[in-house]
Amino acid sequence: MSLEEPEPDEGVIEAAEEVGVTTDGLDYDELAELVGDRLLDREEHVNAEGFVVRPDEVQDVLFDLRDEAGFDHLSCVTAQEYDDRYESIYHLKKYDDPTQELSVVVPSPTDDPRNESANPVYRTADWHEREAYDLVGIEYDDHPDLRRILLPETWQGHPLSQDFDGEEPQIVTLREHANPLQEDHRADDADTMFVNIGPHHPATHGVLHIETVLDGEQVADLEPDIGYLHRCEEQMCQQGTYRHQIMPYPDRWDYISAGILNEWAYARAAEDLADIEVPEYARVVRTMSAELCRIAAHMLAAGTFALDVIGDFTATFMYAVQQRERVQDILEDLTGQRLMFNYLRLGGVAWDVPEPREEFFEKTRDYLDDLPENVREFHNLLTSNEIMQLRTVDTGVLPPEEARSYGATGPVARGSGIDYDLRRDDPYGHYDQLDWDVVTEDGCDNYSRLLVRLREVEQSARIIEQCVDLLEDWPEEDRETQANVPRTLRPDPDTEVYRAVEAAKGELGIYIRSDGTDKPARFKIRSPCFSNLQTLPVMSEGEYIPDMIASLGSLDIVLGEVDR
Amino acid sequence: MIGILKSMATTMKHALDGETFTVEYPEDEPDVSPRFRGVHKFSQERCIWCRQCENVCPNDTIQIVTDDQRNGEQYNLHIGQCIYCRLCEEVCPVDAIVLTQNFEWTADTKDEFALDQEQLKNVPWYKDIDPLEAREPDRGSWVGEGEGEVDYQ
Amino acid sequence: MSAVAPVAAPLQSAPLPGTIAELLGLDPDAPAVLFVLAFLAAGAVISVLMGMTAVLGIWGKRKITAAFTDRIAVNRHGPYGLLIIPADAVRLLSKELIVPAQVDRPAWDLAPLVIASSALLGFAVIPMGNGVQIADPETGLAFVFATASIASLGLVMAGYASNNKFSFLGGLRAVAQNLAYEIPLVLTGASVVIFTGTLQMSGVVEAQQAALVSLGPVDIPSWFAFVNPFAFVLFMVANLAEVGRNPFDIPEAPTEIVAGYQTEYSSVYFVLIYLGEFIHIFLGGAIVATLFLGGPSGPVLPGIVWFFAKMIAVYLFTQWARSAVPRLRIDQLIQIGWKGMLVLSFANLVLTAVIVGVIQA
Repeated sequence: MSLEEPEPDEGVIEAAEEVGVTTDGLDYDELAELVGDRLLDREEHVNAEGFVVRPDEVQDVLFDLRDEAGFDHLSCVTAQEYDDRYESIYHLKKYDDPTQELSVVVPSPTDDPRNESANPVYRTADWHEREAYDLVGIEYDDHPDLRRILLPETWQGHPLSQDFDGEEPQIVTLREHANPLQEDHRADDADTMFVNIGPHHPATHGVLHIETVLDGEQVADLEPDIGYLHRCEEQMCQQGTYRHQIMPYPDRWDYISAGILNEWAYARAAEDLADIEVPEYARVVRTMSAELCRIAAHMLAAGTFALDVIGDFTATFMYAVQQRERVQDILEDLTGQRLMFNYLRLGGVAWDVPEPREEFFEKTRDYLDDLPENVREFHNLLTSNEIMQLRTVDTGVLPPEEARSYGATGPVARGSGIDYDLRRDDPYGHYDQLDWDVVTEDGCDNYSRLLVRLREVEQSARIIEQCVDLLEDWPEEDRETQANVPRTLRPDPDTEVYRAVEAAKGELGIYIRSDGTDKPARFKIRSPCFSNLQTLPVMSEGEYIPDMIASLGSLDIVLGEVDR
Repeated sequence: MIGILKSMATTMKHALDGETFTVEYPEDEPDVSPRFRGVHKFSQERCIWCRQCENVCPNDTIQIVTDDQRNGEQYNLHIGQCIYCRLCEEVCPVDAIVLTQNFEWTADTKDEFALDQEQLKNVPWYKDIDPLEAREPDRGSWVGEGEGEVDYQ
Repeated sequence: MSAVAPVAAPLQSAPLPGTIAELLGLDPDAPAVLFVLAFLAAGAVISVLMGMTAVLGIWGKRKITAAFTDRIAVNRHGPYGLLIIPADAVRLLSKELIVPAQVDRPAWDLAPLVIASSALLGFAVIPMGNGVQIADPETGLAFVFATASIASLGLVMAGYASNNKFSFLGGLRAVAQNLAYEIPLVLTGASVVIFTGTLQMSGVVEAQQAALVSLGPVDIPSWFAFVNPFAFVLFMVANLAEVGRNPFDIPEAPTEIVAGYQTEYSSVYFVLIYLGEFIHIFLGGAIVATLFLGGPSGPVLPGIVWFFAKMIAVYLFTQWARSAVPRLRIDQLIQIGWKGMLVLSFANLVLTAVIVGVIQA
């Protein structure tokens, strides 16, 4: 458990202020009273209650829940189509205590699926609703810019709606496309310049396209255009069986060595859905391997950020990759792969640590012993370098209110001083039994985000060290790596769960709805990068191009997870 | 200024210590962990044609053809399509399919990655490591048992 | 002084064409003979520089970067991977030359030539030791600075003519940067001239031969780097900016504006630009060596070896800076240039003038 005890004064005041907060969790009746007549029905989800509200009263209800009941975090928007209706689910949480959850369920009729947009309440709804419109086909009134987000603008139909014909070829004649060679001078009298940064650009970390309007060297306007790496991950998971076939895919969302963290997100959601208890030993192994992944991911994040700021193929990046490489060697010994681990199973992990155990623990300890020295090297190279400070301090500023509104999580939120870490606030695994700290920095700038990552590496090392100690002394007969899980898993029909874990980039949430078969009826991924990337315009507008690139690097996005 | 000098000192230290992190592959082979999952190896003597591997495979990499008596006729695996999740090995009740540590597998065309049962059988063991034993010490595969001597059917 | 004296003698000999003429028994004053021989001498110097660029630019740079990043780098082609040089040359020259639609020709075609040749031009007046100096005009130093800054023109041409927004930004950045740093560079160079009292390059070298202090048997020569370290540091920094290396590689800035002015260039044109950049770094090194490090002077070894050693040392320094120093932002660069470097170089100039005045009085 973290050393940071919740401050009692603040807690009491908030409990008095926020509707529905009691000492032992949320009082949904009180919340229902707040919503009042606008409440149509109440649903029971595994993680929280769902309040069913009318599609034309969404904003009203959400405003009340945000301002009166303190739900300041719109974690995710899930859209899906039932046989008789469409449904949007707004998964609400609180940054202060993410265990206080509430789902706002908005049904809308099949013939005219539309409901009010949550955009005025939570800015993060912008992209989430665009995605829902794109994939499922629900229209959101009042949405400022309801366009397709993942699929091309010429796409016909909505692939996750029930009447979508996947066989129909998506042929778009050349005439319907914009001619790329056509002369294009928008606003002849303006003194701004439009530039496409990406999708092929050295600093976009993949296929991100940023439509940028420049005023000289400064960014006047900017819009990330995503979807180039959309691989239908949600749909693929909907076609896989719970027990085996889904687990290999989370590795491929955030493929920058954060595999086990992603797997854990699925494991947590599915285990809660099917009510599976994970043996304690397996929980410790999970915690250790997940933190190893976090070190690898943060090392690469620091390295690529350095690359963005320093420029050229420079030493810092290679040193970071070396550190990551050593972690990957350990992970390879443990899981059998260097990136696509497929190590977690529902109810535990695939295997125990490799024999001979002492050798594995020694290798891990060796790495951890060298780590402080290596992190110091990064501080020498990056954080203490004056030019680096000149470049990163007070650039790419993300104020905490904006970060909350945009649903930023992970190191991005913690770099803006938001003390939010699901490992501590919504404990899972073995985290609550261990001694470690949540790292926050108040700078809100690129420098803080870099510092948060470097300091989190040290905290992860602390966690791993304690896990290794625990595993080493574990009595041999109690080393249970997997719970007894049936070979075919069929959760009860119409069970819904939304669960999140703290992945490398932030809150990675999974929503699953079961329909009684061995495959999920709806599988929704709440990607932290997707929400974090939305903050880029806030950070970059008015800044210089180099700072925009640096901010993008400090967000540490992985396009595989943004586009899914 | 001191910070910049510290940075420069750090990189110079790396330049002068003469150590390299990369290796001269292929003369200098990188260490492959015993648990590493590489190209598959298949034993048709062991296989009972239960088709569990085919069913569990997340992306239809394995194709099994049987006659109407459920006798196995073909076992095809497209290793270019495989995601090396090892689920086939995990569900196999007789350890007829295992993933060796063999990580070097090249071909001129994609089609050559579609292996049939003979080719799968001839995939060499990597440095005689028993892959299954490395992963789950209470199980062992048929390393050293020779070719086709064991018939479990 | 004793160690330096034997080497110092050939430093003051006549420029190379005249020497060759005398060796061949031709009339060194006949313009036709001089012209032909000057041509030959220039060809020889250019060949040496090209060879140096090939070794250091293709092979050396990889090895150096690899050393900083704990890697091995090229070692498959011939001994120490040296044959990568012809291999790369063939590769680069045999690539397709892609000319984008609507580039502004002939400016687009001329730009690489301007960039490459302007840097080479500067070497005409550099005394490299052992009598290797093509020309030794009285305005040598001014000539070097003048020719070196022609490169900026090439960069603007390349950036503007490419009809590419990233190139355009790179070209603009190049002008802004060169304007901001040329002035401190020249001013700091002028402080050396105050010491020497001449712009002639051979005179500048000669002025640095006397011993500054004697530590027992070892004489510390009066290289201006030792006489005025402050000016030396200023000049090194301004020089980094002038040749556009880290932390001042802003006109290229690969992570920001792709490759700046050279985004649209491929094949031979790319080679020319690449060559121009390297020779520009070498020219920077040559100027530093001549103005601050005593040119070709040094103990035991012949002058030309010392000269090249000093030039390469400056090149290695740029590579070292590249490994560790982050790139500045364009506005910060301009600010440092106009508000920091310019003021400091003026201060340095005034200070030097006062000191020299006091000494002479």
